[in-house]
Amino acid sequence: MATSVSEWRQSYAAVNHSLTLVATPGSTTYDPMNDRRAQAFWFWLFAGPAVAGFLLFSAGPMLHSLWLAFCNYDVVAPPQFIGLRNFAYLLFHDPAFWPSVQVTLVFTAVQVPLAVASALGVALLLNQPVKARGLWRAIFFLPSILPQAASVAVFVYIFQADGGLLNRLLALAGVTGPAWTTSPAWALPVIVLISLWGFGYPMVVFLGGLQNVPRELYEAAHIDGADAWGRFRHVTLPLISPVLFFNVVMGVIGALKVFDLAYAFGAAQGLIPGGPARATLFYGLNLYQQAFTYFHMGLASAMAWLLFAVIVAITWLNFRLSRRWVHYGD
Amino acid sequence: MLLRLRALLLWPAVLALAATGFWWSARSHEPPPTPGRKLLTWVHFVSPLRDHYEKQVAEFQRLHPDIEVRLILVPMSEYHMKFKTLAAAGQAPDLFYSGDVWMSYLLPFMRDLTPLVERDAAEIGLDDFFPEIRAALQHEGRYYVMPEHANVALLYYNRSLFRAAGVPEPTADWTWDDLVRAGVTLTRPATADDPGVWGCGRLEGWWGEWLTYVRQAGGAVFTPDGRRCALDSPEAIAGLRFFQDKALRHRFSAPAGYEPLNGFVNSRLAMLMVGHVSYWPNYNQIPDLDWDVQLLPIGPASRSGGELAIAGYSISRHTRHPEEAWMLLKFLTRPAAALEVMRHGTISPRRSVAAVQVGERRAGDRPRQVAAAYEQIQYAQPIPRHPYYIEIMLQIVQPEIDRMVQGELTPEQAARRATDGVNAFLATFHGTGP
Repeated sequence: MATSVSEWRQSYAAVNHSLTLVATPGSTTYDPMNDRRAQAFWFWLFAGPAVAGFLLFSAGPMLHSLWLAFCNYDVVAPPQFIGLRNFAYLLFHDPAFWPSVQVTLVFTAVQVPLAVASALGVALLLNQPVKARGLWRAIFFLPSILPQAASVAVFVYIFQADGGLLNRLLALAGVTGPAWTTSPAWALPVIVLISLWGFGYPMVVFLGGLQNVPRELYEAAHIDGADAWGRFRHVTLPLISPVLFFNVVMGVIGALKVFDLAYAFGAAQGLIPGGPARATLFYGLNLYQQAFTYFHMGLASAMAWLLFAVIVAITWLNFRLSRRWVHYGD
Repeated sequence: MLLRLRALLLWPAVLALAATGFWWSARSHEPPPTPGRKLLTWVHFVSPLRDHYEKQVAEFQRLHPDIEVRLILVPMSEYHMKFKTLAAAGQAPDLFYSGDVWMSYLLPFMRDLTPLVERDAAEIGLDDFFPEIRAALQHEGRYYVMPEHANVALLYYNRSLFRAAGVPEPTADWTWDDLVRAGVTLTRPATADDPGVWGCGRLEGWWGEWLTYVRQAGGAVFTPDGRRCALDSPEAIAGLRFFQDKALRHRFSAPAGYEPLNGFVNSRLAMLMVGHVSYWPNYNQIPDLDWDVQLLPIGPASRSGGELAIAGYSISRHTRHPEEAWMLLKFLTRPAAALEVMRHGTISPRRSVAAVQVGERRAGDRPRQVAAAYEQIQYAQPIPRHPYYIEIMLQIVQPEIDRMVQGELTPEQAARRATDGVNAFLATFHGTGP
């Protein structure tokens, strides 16, 4: 480095001072108050575009949708204020609302543990000193970069009732397979299976966490007589618990917001979105249907705010519970 | 100094970039019309008739050099979202694909065509349309749609499978009981060497088949004033029960997940209720498929009840060129165009074209009894005129019917749940609550 830290500090102070002079015409002396103004200037200079973007494209629409949640609005006619009727309809009358909540919660409860366990299991394997480790990591990550819709189309073919690959294989064994994708009992489990296909991102995060576990701790545990499970339970798991927590939180949020998977699942079979019999009517899909198929923007906004509240509550709960099992090494 | 300069330049640069982005996204990407020509936009879904439509546009522009027609094709699944978004943005097309099924839904965007229809009744050949079709084109006595082609619910059947099972082919006076008897006889369970045959298919995911039974049993979806759901009436429940019995009691209807069109073309389904005339060309591409159509079996209360669906065109309420759009609409629905569309495999709303189609039948043509399709029109009914009909049926009613056919609900339970759901919906969004 050509410039030392002290030189950098001097030039920074000079810049601040010159900006202070710019900001206060007539002033020729250094003033700590004006120094804060200079800092504010720098802050808004760099943070301003992001803040403006957030206000314009996130906070603004969010507040507008909060207003729409209390309106009947079909995009064409002006919004008509109806008070709490959207919320009352959703909570007490809408035959699709609670089934969609149930589908989403069941999916979250089953898929997140399975996805996190799969990602962790594969990451543990790929963290071993095996030949061509980079290649294996790439191979396991590849499904994650496939478009969700493409994966779903392939899996729907595999699970098709009439002539699907799985049922053909079952038929060879003399078993008549069910209508996996069009049976209300099987459709959701099939979607859970399809969703497990893309565990690449949490796997990479786990790999990063595993590589930060000091080898000396394993050696010490080994000397103390810990077997493989003991080392995993008492060394690996506590040390990767922040990473595990991150994957759980992100997995839960992602599962609560599932949309593309469910939409592609219906579209690939020509089913009504959410079919059969609302068995795959995820909350996000239900919300999309209300907003962009039937143009009940007010109802959809109410649904969006309910989802937002639930995600905030569950994430808060996750953070509260994390105090018991996440170790940050402090 | 340099930093100050950068700081001063950064924000204008960011603002200029944002303004450019807004301008770019806001400007129309459509090229302007040729000077001196009026531009008509026509939105249609992506259709197998695309070549026909493009030829029609070229021919129309040749006849009317002062008009430029821009055909916008949208995937069918996104058609209504695209249309409504365009309308909300004040860019509704001049002419758009519509039909009686979507009439109530799209009515706020449709121009009342009645004055134009009455003025040009002779030119468009209003009397040439089947009376039932003419009635279905109207809403409260006003015309909003002009028809291009139609579909009518029919009984489709595989003649080879009937012959093989020794079952006489369906006749025009068949009843539900005849359907059950034949279906049970035709059903042949699958074995290790034989994929088997189902007596009849079952339409899943929409109302086409079960609504036919509900109506033929004397039921209806709505009360006559359209303010309440009537699916819990004993008549409607009888229709739903027949739909369930086909699968669960008589066991001649294919199970869930058995795609009826694949089954029919693979000769694994002996009969198909309702169907769609647009699949006729597909069936005819399979040399071994000896198929035909017949009138729908008669229900306990009525022969009527099968669906009549008309595809056609409407003009936007806010079009800037109503006369030119009307000229294009007349051009697209004229008898010569209807004949061309019929040859692509549909039935025509025009009696003159129907006569040509029936008269052109030769030995070996399928379906042999094309006249039955036209005869069925008099027993067919359009879907109820309700702005929320499609949403109500797909979002609220159909999932209950799907569960009923799976055996999870009785017809009474499904009807009650559907009725309660529809009435709550109507109370919230249609102002019909207590």
